[in-house]
Amino acid sequence: MASRGALMLSDKDNVATGLEDIEAGTEVSVRLGKEVREVRALEKIPFGFKIAVVSIAKGAEVMKYGEPIGIASRDIKQGEMVHIHNLEGARGRGDIARGGSR
Amino acid sequence: MNFLGYQRPDGSAGIRNHVLVIPGGFLAAKIGESVAGVRTIVTSDSGSGRTGRDRETIARTLIGLGRNPNVASVIVHPLSPGAGYPELKPARLAEEIAGSGKRVELIDVAEEGSTYRALEKGVNLAREMVLEASRLRRQPFDLSHLTVGVKCGHSDPTSGIAGNPVNGNLFDRIVAAGGTALFGETTEIIGAEHVLSRRGINKAVSRGILEAAAETEERAKATGEDIRTINPVPSNIAAGISTLEEKSLGAIHKSGSAPIQGVLKYGERPQGKGLYFVDNWMSMGSIFAGYAAAGAQLVIFQLGGGGWRGGDILPTSTAVVAPLMWTTANPKTLSHFPTGIDFYSGTVIEGKDTIAKSGEKLLQKVLDIASGTFTRVETIKHTDPTQIYLKDPCF
Repeated sequence: MASRGALMLSDKDNVATGLEDIEAGTEVSVRLGKEVREVRALEKIPFGFKIAVVSIAKGAEVMKYGEPIGIASRDIKQGEMVHIHNLEGARGRGDIARGGSR
Repeated sequence: MNFLGYQRPDGSAGIRNHVLVIPGGFLAAKIGESVAGVRTIVTSDSGSGRTGRDRETIARTLIGLGRNPNVASVIVHPLSPGAGYPELKPARLAEEIAGSGKRVELIDVAEEGSTYRALEKGVNLAREMVLEASRLRRQPFDLSHLTVGVKCGHSDPTSGIAGNPVNGNLFDRIVAAGGTALFGETTEIIGAEHVLSRRGINKAVSRGILEAAAETEERAKATGEDIRTINPVPSNIAAGISTLEEKSLGAIHKSGSAPIQGVLKYGERPQGKGLYFVDNWMSMGSIFAGYAAAGAQLVIFQLGGGGWRGGDILPTSTAVVAPLMWTTANPKTLSHFPTGIDFYSGTVIEGKDTIAKSGEKLLQKVLDIASGTFTRVETIKHTDPTQIYLKDPCF
């Protein structure tokens, strides 16, 4: 199968969704409409998981669909996988509302 | 773009032709076992110890299922122990269903003298009503006679990229042709409600969408838990969805792009045609019966499935009287459920179809099912229990 790379859904996004299993070290073709850019995957990224297309600082919004999907819970390097280990939701946080810690 | 349906006295069109016995319980179950073509509801929501608001939701659901166009006629029997509440009195349920012009029969166990004598009467009545319904013939109806409800579930990244947008395209087509489309799952608009609310036809609708999300988020926060430990569910996270916001922003694509005409309660019938947001709960055990009570003749489960760890039989309909259709855009899900998926939109990800082209094919599939072709899970004889969406505590 031809390489499908990863897909960005808006020019505001800082992550792309992998459309295939991506091995560490691969140059991933990240598509946004007709534009294509190359991002080197720093780790294995399974089908459907997200890759950082730029570096994202801790505390910054992670953007997908052109909208914030949460906050980076640590610094994320370009090419790293973005998931629950480095991305937190900002909504429905009963744990924080009650004074819990992140 | 027509489908073949059964004309009902109120002008609506059934895509199936059932006799319904409500509420659930012994009599309904035994009549359902004995007579072909009978549908019943299986639920433990009797109304006992429930608030007036919740009892009204139960009544609205039962009445709505009875009025659903897929139902030719209805038998109502006493609900025990809920029958004492005025909202759930059998005569009230029967009268409101009969307002649609269809035949409604009331069985009074006390009058019959015993449950088994009431059962004998019920079986005989049901057989006669099924025979009567079978004399009806399908005739062409346009899409303004069709109402479809959707939920997305076991969502994975294929849902937001292809599966949900293709369903959205279907909804745009149905709405453009004068039909009605229902979507909801209030938890799963949190983080996307600002995008959705812009599509309200007026300020009241836009505000209603924001208020529904706010009320649900407040209830989530009151639990003291991080909602990520509840929803997204583990199968979403296992498939690559990281936060509720991400899930929501993908989920709203299933609604398409049409203006939103109103915000409905669970089981509430829309006053007009077009696209409606329903303030409901995502569980498939709950949501589909609510859509059917609102008048949906067909319900769709748009499945991600990338994180699915279960068996290969997809759940059957909990919509009681409306067939359930399964769609997916995930090729692994398609091969995992060869006997369950009715429509595959992964061709969009493979670059073989545009979203619009896939939406056009999905509409053809919907018209085929509306005209009588079974959905794959419709061939399974099994009734999953229905959990009516009740918001208040029980006492």
